Amino acid sequence: MSIMEYNGGSVIAMVGKDCVAIASDLRLGNQALGISSNFQKIFPVTDRIYLGLPGLATDVTTLRERFRFRVNMYTIKEEREIEPETFAHLVSSTLYQHRFGPYFIEPVMAGLSKTPSGGVKPFIAATDLIGCLNFAKDFVVAGTASSKLFGVAEGLWEPDLEPEDLFETISQTLLNAVDRDAYSGWGAIVHVITKDKVITRTLKGRMD
Amino acid sequence: MPGLPQQRQFNPYSENGGTILAIAGADFSVIAGDTRQSEGYNIQTRYAPKVFRLTDRAVLAVNGFAADGNMFVKSVKQRLEWYRHAHAKDMPLRAIARLIQTMLYARRFFPYYVYNILGGIEEDGTGAVYSFDPVGSYEREACRAAGAAQSLVQPFLDNQIYFKNQLAAAGTSHPTHLPLPTVLSIVIDSFTSATERHIEVGDGLEMYVVLAKGRTLQGLEGIRGMQELTTTDDGERVFVVRRELKKD
Amino acid sequence: MFLTRSEYDRGVNTFSPEGRLFQVEYAIEAIKLGSTTVGIRTPEGVVLAVEKRVQSPLLESSSIEKIMEIDSHLGCAMSGLTADARTMIDHARVTAQNHSFTYDEKIKVESATQAVCDLALRFGESVHDEEAMMSRPFGVALLIAGIDELGPQLYHTDPSGTFMKYDAKAIGSGSEAAQSELQDKWHKQMTLREAQILTLRVLKQVMEEKLDHHNVQLAQVAPQIGFKILDEKQLKEIIEAM
Repeated sequence: MSIMEYNGGSVIAMVGKDCVAIASDLRLGNQALGISSNFQKIFPVTDRIYLGLPGLATDVTTLRERFRFRVNMYTIKEEREIEPETFAHLVSSTLYQHRFGPYFIEPVMAGLSKTPSGGVKPFIAATDLIGCLNFAKDFVVAGTASSKLFGVAEGLWEPDLEPEDLFETISQTLLNAVDRDAYSGWGAIVHVITKDKVITRTLKGRMD
Repeated sequence: MPGLPQQRQFNPYSENGGTILAIAGADFSVIAGDTRQSEGYNIQTRYAPKVFRLTDRAVLAVNGFAADGNMFVKSVKQRLEWYRHAHAKDMPLRAIARLIQTMLYARRFFPYYVYNILGGIEEDGTGAVYSFDPVGSYEREACRAAGAAQSLVQPFLDNQIYFKNQLAAAGTSHPTHLPLPTVLSIVIDSFTSATERHIEVGDGLEMYVVLAKGRTLQGLEGIRGMQELTTTDDGERVFVVRRELKKD
Repeated sequence: MFLTRSEYDRGVNTFSPEGRLFQVEYAIEAIKLGSTTVGIRTPEGVVLAVEKRVQSPLLESSSIEKIMEIDSHLGCAMSGLTADARTMIDHARVTAQNHSFTYDEKIKVESATQAVCDLALRFGESVHDEEAMMSRPFGVALLIAGIDELGPQLYHTDPSGTFMKYDAKAIGSGSEAAQSELQDKWHKQMTLREAQILTLRVLKQVMEEKLDHHNVQLAQVAPQIGFKILDEKQLKEIIEAM
C-alpha cells in the first residue's frame, strides 16, 4: 500500500477573476479507517497565500512547521512579505533537498501576487513530492482524489469567475470528487482569497 | 545452462485504454465511447469503435481488452440471432442484460477482460442503462461511465445528472430525467474533459442515441454529424453522432 | 389400417416403402386409448379439464395426476401413457427455468411447446452400436396451456413431435365426440367461466361414469394469477352450476 494513500485527503486550488480559491477535505484516516473529520491540511502562509499539504499526515505537521519557520526567517531578513512565486520556489527547493528521502506530500498553493501597477494577480501552483513545480493557469489538484478532481474541474471550471462563483465551482468540484473517493471526504473547507479579504467557509459533506 | 529450471509465461490479457459512457433519459438513451485504441504509450489506431448497435433498441459499449471486447460483442450478436430464430422476436433489453450476465459469468475463471455498458429502450418504453463488471455483476442505472477515464467522468456525472451536492431552489425539485440536447452536451463535455486530462482518451467520439417508439426527433434534427441506423419502421430508432476529439 | 404387418413395424428410424413410420403411428393410436382431455382458449385465459378414470373403488382418486404445472404461466394436461409425460414435462420445466435464468423473462408458450416436441422427436437418435437415449416414441399427447405477451394460448402436441395451436382441443378416447361438441359450442368471446362449464359439459357427454368432483380435474391459466389447478370446492361449485 502506497504511503501517499496512508492517511488520505485531497486539495484543489482554482484561479478566478482577481481572486483565487483553495479547498480541501477534512478527513484523516488510517488506511480505510476514519480517524478524524476535522483534520486541517490548508494553512495560511501570509495574508494572501494559503498552502495545502495533502499526503502523509505526519509530514503535513512537519512541513507546516518547517514552512512557518522559513517564511518567518524570510520576513525578518527581507523585511517584507514573501510573494507567492517566491514561496512556490521555497516549497520546491525544500522538497528537492529531500530528493532521495522525500516528504510524502504534494503541496498545492494559492495566493495573490502584487503587480507593479499596484493591483493583484491570481497565482496558483502545485508540486509533486520532490518539488517539481506546476504553475497552472486554471486549477491544480493533489491527493487521493486527484483524478476525480481533474475530471470534475475540467468540466466545471471556466475563466474569470467572480469570488462567489469561484467558491461555488471549487466547492462543487471538491465535494463531488471526494464523494467518489473512499480516502477523502468527511467534510470540506474552502478559502477564497480576494484583494481585500479571505472568505473561509466550512462545508458539510457526506459522512460515509 | 542445462539442468537449471526455467520458467516461461504467456499473458493472455492487455489493456487498450479508452472510455465509455451511457445516460438514460425518460424515453431515450445515449451510449457513447471514444475511438482511440492504445497499448501503453502507443496509439494503435485512432478509429476503433467500442460502441455497437445490437438491435434497434439496444446498444452495447465495451471497454477494456479490445480483443476480448470484440469477441464478446460477436458472441452476444450471435446469441441475439439464435434467440430471434428460436422465439420469433427481438430480445428485450432486460433479457439482453441478463444474457450478458450469464455469458460473462460462464467465464468466471477466465474472464472477458471488459467492462460493459448496455443502453437502450425497455419494453415499457423507458430509457435504460445497464452496467456490468467483467464477471457479470450488473445493475440498472440512470448513468454510468467506465474505462480509463471513469474516475474523471463519473463524479462529474454524479453532479450533472444526479445533481449530487446541489440543492433545488425553494419549492422546486431536481428533474429525474434530462432532455436529450442537455444529455448530449454533458456527454460531449465529459469526453472533451477526459481527452484533456487522460492520455488514453481522444481522437474520435461516437454517441449512439436510441429513441423510444413514437418519440419525435425533437432537439435532434439540428445535431451536426448525425446518421440514422434504424432497420425497421414503427419501432425504436437508433442514431449515431460522430465528433472529433483532440488527437494529442 | 395396420393389418399388413411387415419388417417396418419394428425400427423407429426406418420408413416403410409407403413412407410411413409405423411406431410413430402406433404411438398416436395409443393416445386414443387414454382418458379424455379437453382444453379451451378464451380471451380471459385457458381452461384444461381431464377425466380421471377411477378403475376401482379402492383407488385414491386424488393420486391420479393428469394436469401439471410447467411454470407459473404454463400448464399441461395429458392423455395416453401418462408416465411418458413426466419425462416431457420435466424437460419443459427445465427449459422454462433455464429460459428465465438466462433471459430474466417468462418463456413463450410456443417456445416451451417447441422444446417438448424437440424432445419427442429424439426417439430416432440411437445409432447402431450406441447406447440409445430413447427406445421408442412417447405414447402421450399433451395440451399445453399458457399466457405470454401474445395472450392466452393452447397447444397440442403428439408423439410425432408435431405441435399445433388450437382455440379448443380434445384428446383421448372420447376426443372425436368431444371435438365436434367443442366446434359447436366454442365462440370467440367466451368468458373463463363459460369455458370452465363447457369443458365439464363436454367431458360429461363422453364419460361413462357420472361426472363428479372425484373423477374430473380442472385447471386454468389466467392473467396475473397464472396456472392453477382448481380445488375441490371450486370444482364442486362449477359442477353444480353446469
